[in-house]
Amino acid sequence: QEIPTPTIPGDTTNTKTQDTITGIVRDEQGNALPGVSVMVKGKPNTGTTTDPNGRYKATVGGNTILVFSYTGYGSKEERIGKRKEVDVVLRAEQEALEEVVVIGYGSVKKRDLTGSVAQVKATEINAFPTSNALQSLSGRAPGVQVYQGSGAPGPAMSVRIRGANSILGSNEPLYVVDGFPLSGSNPTILNNADIESMEILKDASATAIYGSRGANGVVIITTKQGGVEGTGSATQVDFEANYGIQQIRKKLDLMTGPEYATFYNLRAANDGVTPYFTQEQINNLPSFDWQDFIFRSAPIKSTSLNIGGGNERTQFSVGGSVLAQDGIIKGSDYDRYSLRGSIQHQISDKLTVDANATLSRLITGRKDSNGGARGNSLISSILGAPPALTPYDDNGGYRLLSNAFNIAAPDIINPLNWINEETNKTEANLVLANAAVTYKPISDINIKLLTGIENRDDRENMYRTNRYQGSTGEAKITANNEQSRLVELTANYNKIWNERHNFSALAGVTYQDFINSYVMGSGQGFISNVSGWDNLGGALVPLVPASGYNKSTLLSYLARVNYTLDDKYLFTVSFRADGSSRYRTDSRWGYFPSGAFAWRVSQEDFMKDHNWISDLKLRVSWGKTGTQIEDFYPTFNPLAGGYTVFGQDLHLAFAPETDLPNRDLKWETTEQIDAGLDFGVLDNRLVFTADYYRKTTKDLLNAVPLPTSMGYATTFQNVGQIRNSGVELGLNANIFKGDFKWDVTANIAFNRSKVLKLYAGADIFGDELKMNVVSDSRTILREGLQRGLFFGYLEDGYDEEGQIKYKDLNGDGSISNADRTVIGNPNPDFIYGLNSSMSYKNFDFTFFIQGMTGNDIFNASSIGSTVDYVSGLNMVRDVLNNHWTPENPNAKYPVISNTVNARVSDRWIEDGSFLRLRNIQLAYNLPVEKFNLGWLKRLQVYVSGQNLLTLTNYSWYDPEMPSSGSDYLSYPIAKTYTFGVKAGF
Amino acid sequence: CSKELDQEPRSILEETFYNTAAEAEAAVNAIFPPIRLGAQGIASYNATLECHSDYAYGRGSWAQFNDFSGLDATNTNRVGDFWNSFYLAIRNANLVIRHVPEGNAMNDEEKNRYVAEAKFMRAWCYFHLVRNWGGVPLRIESNMEEKDVPRSSVEEVYALIDADLRFAESYLPEDNAAQPGRPTKWMAKTVLSDYLLTNNKYQEARDKALELVQSGLFSLVPIQQVDDFERIFGAGVGVTDEEVFHFKYTREGQGNYYPFIINHPETGYFMKGGGKGAYAQYSNVNNNFYKEWSDLDLRKQLWYPMNIGLGEGTVLQKKFIDPAAANEYGAINDFPVYRYAEVLLLFAEAEARVNGVTAEALDALNQVKRRAYGREINTASDIDYQIGSFSPETLIDSILQERAYEFQFEGKRWFDLKRTGKAAEILQKNKGVAIADKHYLWPIPLAELNYNQGITENNPGY
Repeated sequence: QEIPTPTIPGDTTNTKTQDTITGIVRDEQGNALPGVSVMVKGKPNTGTTTDPNGRYKATVGGNTILVFSYTGYGSKEERIGKRKEVDVVLRAEQEALEEVVVIGYGSVKKRDLTGSVAQVKATEINAFPTSNALQSLSGRAPGVQVYQGSGAPGPAMSVRIRGANSILGSNEPLYVVDGFPLSGSNPTILNNADIESMEILKDASATAIYGSRGANGVVIITTKQGGVEGTGSATQVDFEANYGIQQIRKKLDLMTGPEYATFYNLRAANDGVTPYFTQEQINNLPSFDWQDFIFRSAPIKSTSLNIGGGNERTQFSVGGSVLAQDGIIKGSDYDRYSLRGSIQHQISDKLTVDANATLSRLITGRKDSNGGARGNSLISSILGAPPALTPYDDNGGYRLLSNAFNIAAPDIINPLNWINEETNKTEANLVLANAAVTYKPISDINIKLLTGIENRDDRENMYRTNRYQGSTGEAKITANNEQSRLVELTANYNKIWNERHNFSALAGVTYQDFINSYVMGSGQGFISNVSGWDNLGGALVPLVPASGYNKSTLLSYLARVNYTLDDKYLFTVSFRADGSSRYRTDSRWGYFPSGAFAWRVSQEDFMKDHNWISDLKLRVSWGKTGTQIEDFYPTFNPLAGGYTVFGQDLHLAFAPETDLPNRDLKWETTEQIDAGLDFGVLDNRLVFTADYYRKTTKDLLNAVPLPTSMGYATTFQNVGQIRNSGVELGLNANIFKGDFKWDVTANIAFNRSKVLKLYAGADIFGDELKMNVVSDSRTILREGLQRGLFFGYLEDGYDEEGQIKYKDLNGDGSISNADRTVIGNPNPDFIYGLNSSMSYKNFDFTFFIQGMTGNDIFNASSIGSTVDYVSGLNMVRDVLNNHWTPENPNAKYPVISNTVNARVSDRWIEDGSFLRLRNIQLAYNLPVEKFNLGWLKRLQVYVSGQNLLTLTNYSWYDPEMPSSGSDYLSYPIAKTYTFGVKAGF
Repeated sequence: CSKELDQEPRSILEETFYNTAAEAEAAVNAIFPPIRLGAQGIASYNATLECHSDYAYGRGSWAQFNDFSGLDATNTNRVGDFWNSFYLAIRNANLVIRHVPEGNAMNDEEKNRYVAEAKFMRAWCYFHLVRNWGGVPLRIESNMEEKDVPRSSVEEVYALIDADLRFAESYLPEDNAAQPGRPTKWMAKTVLSDYLLTNNKYQEARDKALELVQSGLFSLVPIQQVDDFERIFGAGVGVTDEEVFHFKYTREGQGNYYPFIINHPETGYFMKGGGKGAYAQYSNVNNNFYKEWSDLDLRKQLWYPMNIGLGEGTVLQKKFIDPAAANEYGAINDFPVYRYAEVLLLFAEAEARVNGVTAEALDALNQVKRRAYGREINTASDIDYQIGSFSPETLIDSILQERAYEFQFEGKRWFDLKRTGKAAEILQKNKGVAIADKHYLWPIPLAELNYNQGITENNPGY
């Protein structure tokens, strides 16, 4: 079949030697590549693309350089010379040896890395739709654990790199977007499609350049940029759209209406009270399924468009995206609109300017979904609502659940109140923008001045109508502003001497400030619901407004030297000094040095005979990093304003809040050593990475709980030391090449924490649980043990009345605080991820498995539904079938009685191990070359499913927990079926 | 460059406050909110004390307080909240006592006044702590930031209460007309009288109460019918002649939570039309206390029948009602900590204990009774207690019984039962519950035991 071959218009600059050049572009397997951009270097407007057979035709001058580029492949330049036929082979990018990895304040070739850095690329980040880009890190890199504690739309994720060091402070890594260290935790401003790559810096030699913010690791996010500097390329347009349906993954097996009545009659019988229901009533009771009523199927939709291109001197990238997610609980949703642009322009040989800006608007609709008890929060009311009651009363109003039966909890609220009569909507506008000027006085030196701003304005709106149970209408608006400004001056020097000594150096000074402010207004008592929160002035009872302002600053000096000898011996040293306004003058400055050495063994002469080894590198590193306290003014004791009343008037009152300041606070520092190995065989078809690390955190900041008789609840102290050590293994295998391709990447990581030292050797109790039937602290930090352990009583069967007995561990004849012990461990033995991607002809099939093993969950969610018999709540059906009776003394649940003897005990500890099929996807790449459409280069359609399969023994909704391992009536995580399309033009 | 790192918090700081009289006053004001407000303050505290009485019961989770069979986690936690609230108020008082004497823009008179206010409130808080928990850790201005403070003896706690109240008596003003509810000399004398009576120091207790009686500043509010109690306890009545020490409330998030606790949504007594109310406290016409009570007593008529699913004869109280409350924290009824009726009965009891059956004791007692029956307060009437009918012991019993009628839902009865050693006997008789020794004191909260290494033992039985 003969089709016209595209032709590049003549190169008018050199008319003397016009020639027609033809050729075929293939990949390494010899397959013809259609749609490859071909153009004359420096003339981006004159490009063409290869035809479906990979062929191209160009009429150009003999001296021309042709540039071939194709997404996912390294671009290639060919000087034509006198050739008439130029065939080109493009290498797929994953296999390109000269891959570059972004590190702090610069980048290096992957092969020259001395530290432990993992890279996650656009294809992985974009593998399936997520509402938070960090979700896509889950399971992708060894030692990186992503915690999604809630299934609510637009969730904040929590990321742990090599375990958690800090008790008080954030254990979130530092996020650096295009060189700007973000002040907040999650980079929610970005859409997955905006991201070119994420680099995860793990060891201290990589993170120490971020000094006091490096202890939890650093995630460097690079957004998509235009073509390659100095080359230019054809304009590329990428479009993606997908649509998914989310459903609740699992329902809990609760009692029916008649079972409910039978259950409470049983309680009455056990307590010697008249039965609440007659048999006739029981027979006629309805069974209403509150879970079916509240949970729904909900769509998630996302669309993005990215355009990139440019010429030799100017490159640009523009992207826009819309994400709309509805939650599986009505009224919860998340919408994100974002627009991103970047431009680089070379003013002259010495001067380059570049700018990036991202604008986002996030609208989050929340439904009360965490914590609570006895039906006073949404999830607890869904679980606790009597199944013998329907949501509406005879008049069509919301049924008052609290006095429907005499046994009902006084606090239970009909969930429809939250669903229909309360709106919580946060509207956030985010800007992240930076601009830099780079000056090259001579070719070896690069001086860069970068300024940037991060700004987040969010407005939280709340309105509760006057139809909400017991409400006269309530409105509240809180406007927050978070702002961070950055000025950074860095200089780079690169020099190679005698082709043996490769030397580069970096020095810089940076200043960043962080400003938070807020203003809040609210009112109660609205005669009409029409205006919602938009008419605070219409409140019968205007409430007192509030505002606040915090500012802190960070001034830093940094330096780094890289030296490579003979491409075999690689050295890196770095240093950063951070001065923080959060500490008093004498402890203000922290110093963070690091050093690393790598030996590329495969480069040695004695390895020459071992051709099968393509890469072997040994790495060791050491360094110090810090953690900054989150509080802006931790050494002062601020007094909070309030009121009291004398006569009929308000009078101002000022008193401290709950934290007792510690005037002697100092930096928390983490010292880390790392030893690693990179090993590639068979031309890197199999690449293996292993790391061992040990992190020791000293002067650990902690909120030490104080006895309540002090009036203060906590104080911050540099109390102790924690160590995290572990092993991380990663494997990347190209099992099959050719028509049937199969790539597998896998990783596994083992981390162990140990509390080495605590203030005065004393235990630190934490995570106070305050539910009606069980109230106590439930975690402990104790010297010699792992961090975050669950602590409480051990159960010992039942007494002769069927009440729970506890083990008297200290043998003093009574059950007291001293009988508590470690009852569970939320830290997994190991975490892992496995990604398999196969392709055959036009089909791609991928699946991605992720999981953790050996961790415990504290299931506080089940407390209300399994032992809180006092308040007429619905229970899981198992309680009815498996409770204590004289005939069944070893039952799972205690006697059904008004007296409940529950404590923080091993009853609530469950194995939280899970293996999850995070994503499974089948894609079909349409043979666009056959359509003969010049403008369409690629078109892929796919179907996929997220969380379709989860293997776990965990009894409640979902085993994915916040890092504390505590399940406390959180919003259930959904499974999703997705259909999507990706196109390139 | 390091100047960029210097901080200027835009907040009011402990480090720079407490200089002017206005600042000292605002610091004193902060002593009140923890105990006045919310579900951890006086309302729930008072409800808990009332559940321990012989005439009232708690519904649902409150029932344990009248069962005297031990406290589950909910209620251990609940009484722990009261501990926290009292100590938070004490911390704020200690800050005043520590810093105000150093204030650089106040004269000595002002300093003494604010320190006296703080000491008065500190003493009042410790007076409640010591009666509910026994010997508690004494946190004063000099050790307030020490983490580990052991329990003091009951005597040591009372020694501090004594010293604080006497300082307050000396330096508090006589009059608080500008800010009704602020501490006065008369409030200090009343608390002194109560604490002295509790500690069997009858002569001085009598004298302190007598000072108020003789001051001529206070009198009982007369009533004719049951609805007239609104003139004393109703929403927005302002300062009555009877007020000695009241917590004051307004609607803007500064309301009294107690009317929410006791009222039923269907009566319209609370948030009319809004339908809220926990009716967490009730009584029953079959309770002996109720049965033996004269129907002529208008105070008995504050109880009204209501079926709340807890059997025949259930009655609820309408002593504190606010139909116009906007929400559960929006009632504006005063909480009466001390009324003149109590001063009269403090005097009567102390007088009887010192001097036996006297006309003065009888008169004080009869004033309270006559008012409650709708009679002229200062005119002898047919319902009067007669002097000839009493021995000193039976007079004291009658005074205690009159206190029980008069201060229902004001948190006095449980302390009366405990200090007179009659709790077990009377609770058995009226409510039919047996009470073990451990129930005279509440458990020290777990958070205190966990974090205060100075405390090694909880109260007996916990």
